[in-house]
Amino acid sequence: MRPPFVSFQKQFSVAQATALSARRSLTGEMVLAIVLALALTSFVFLAPLLTTHDPMQGNLMARFKPPGTENHWLGTDELGRDIWSRTLAGFKWSLSAAFMASVIAMSVGTALGLIAAQRAGIIRTLIRQSVDIVLSFPGLIVAICVITLWGQGFWQLVLTLGLLSWPVFTRVVYAEALSLLERDYVSAATLMGVPRTAILLRHVLPGLRASLMVVMAFHFADMLIAESALSFLGIGAPLGEPTWGNMLAASRDKLIQAPWMMLAPACAIVLAVVTANLAGDGLARASRQQGKEVVIA
Amino acid sequence: MPDRPFKLQTGNRESLMEMAPFLKSMRPIIVKLRDLAILMASLGTLLFVILPLIGDPAEVLAGMDATPEQLAAIRAKYGLDQPWFAQYARYWWNLAQFDFGESLTSGRPALDVVMAHLPATLMLSGLAMALTLLVSVPLGAWLGFRPNAPSRRFSAWIVFIFQGMPGFVIGLVLIQIFAVNLRWLPSIGYGGPTTWIMPTLALSSFLIPKLTRMIAANVAEAMREDYVRTARAFGATQSEILWRHAFPNALLGAMALIGTQFAFLLSGTVIIERLFTWPGIGWLLIERTQTLDFPVIQTLALLIAFMVFAVNALTDLGFRLADPRLREET
Repeated sequence: MRPPFVSFQKQFSVAQATALSARRSLTGEMVLAIVLALALTSFVFLAPLLTTHDPMQGNLMARFKPPGTENHWLGTDELGRDIWSRTLAGFKWSLSAAFMASVIAMSVGTALGLIAAQRAGIIRTLIRQSVDIVLSFPGLIVAICVITLWGQGFWQLVLTLGLLSWPVFTRVVYAEALSLLERDYVSAATLMGVPRTAILLRHVLPGLRASLMVVMAFHFADMLIAESALSFLGIGAPLGEPTWGNMLAASRDKLIQAPWMMLAPACAIVLAVVTANLAGDGLARASRQQGKEVVIA
Repeated sequence: MPDRPFKLQTGNRESLMEMAPFLKSMRPIIVKLRDLAILMASLGTLLFVILPLIGDPAEVLAGMDATPEQLAAIRAKYGLDQPWFAQYARYWWNLAQFDFGESLTSGRPALDVVMAHLPATLMLSGLAMALTLLVSVPLGAWLGFRPNAPSRRFSAWIVFIFQGMPGFVIGLVLIQIFAVNLRWLPSIGYGGPTTWIMPTLALSSFLIPKLTRMIAANVAEAMREDYVRTARAFGATQSEILWRHAFPNALLGAMALIGTQFAFLLSGTVIIERLFTWPGIGWLLIERTQTLDFPVIQTLALLIAFMVFAVNALTDLGFRLADPRLREET
């Protein structure tokens, strides 16, 4: 059953309809996503003000202090480091790692998807094959290779995550760019002698914006989880660095002595992932209401 | 006697003509086999290039305090002193015969080591898959049938929040509650059914929210379609509308999701197996990369890639059977 306002909407002028769809696209979940995202990013920038201790500095006299102890309101870990300060520092570490990884994945994936859509033949086959290869390649082995070659670090982790996950974008971009390339304005541009690269960048890429934003939001959530999972396995962020994955990994061995150690980082991850998923959902719904079909592979 | 060869000839010709549509329908399978060959060739080459970067197998075999002579002897024995193209040819020659080398730590054939750990992983992912379907299909159908009812909105929010929880976080919480506090279940190991519960729950928590939301969205969309309205107009009951008209269409999309999420499920097993010390191939992969057991790592990589490919290919072929619209594409 369609909601009754649809028949109303037909009588509106175009301007009114646009205003209505813009208002409707700002649903409750989108507002919540924006508020949460602002809160999370403000944690990144306000961390130096809110932090109470040096996140890297341990105090062996104050190991395994439960939450609510004087000076350490979320307690301390196995080396006596303040969990509140470490979780705060984790915002910067984990969020920027996940963001950079998704930016890399998006750039590589979009470029290859566009090329594959335009160039039929051997180049398209090559790109599609490499999508399959990367998707079925066990990423863990790559992560370990990177670590043995270049050590553990922020950029190593970001590049590994980004260069293993670009096929997600390639699939979406390829499917949508194929249909966009069939449009009349693209044929017109081709007939007028616009170079192929310019067609891709100026006529096809803008049409992909809605889908890219949705995929980006979901991918950011996936990268947050992947980063913490790799760190949890000990092959992600450098040991001792204040990331949520590292904190969870440390808490795994101390579940009996210090069950509170996993609480703060777990909540932080869940909050960040839920925010990103909310944004993805909201963006997808918004572009669906504007009549665009969003493909999620 | 004289008329038999004649009959045989026409029969042959006709059967060849009948074969033509059959050969045409085999085309997708042939394409898949070609893709598999390309995948295995490039993956094998990639591993051949990458794995020596992690470490020197001769040093692993000889141990920490080996003399240069011992190292040279081991290199000569395994052909590691030969030029790279000779090693590469030998590598493929061995792989073509399904000889994956011997484990550097135990000396057993690498394939046997991997196969010994495969059942544990297959059981865990099978259990998790079964639980996922058991929960997601009814829950998704229920949520999507009338998505705006308050109780279902609330449940949808809970599913949404669960989607934000990584499986290993849920695993940690489960251990904390059921193994540490209540002492009901063992936290690690692989034994009776009590050890299966928590890994299965943790692993299926990767997929349940995703699949539930997907089915719910598809059912909700199908409920707005014209054919559902027609069915309603003809007096179909609510459950008929849901299970006969809206649900089958929703399930198609869900099947596609299951196919593409298999790789995701496998990487999930690596983390869950590590968390619960479950002796499957994920656990083996982590353990052997720490000891640099190259033949086992390589076998695992090839096996995992093959499994992911096989599941994707089977889903794709199954779709062609189920949905005639897809048959024309290659």
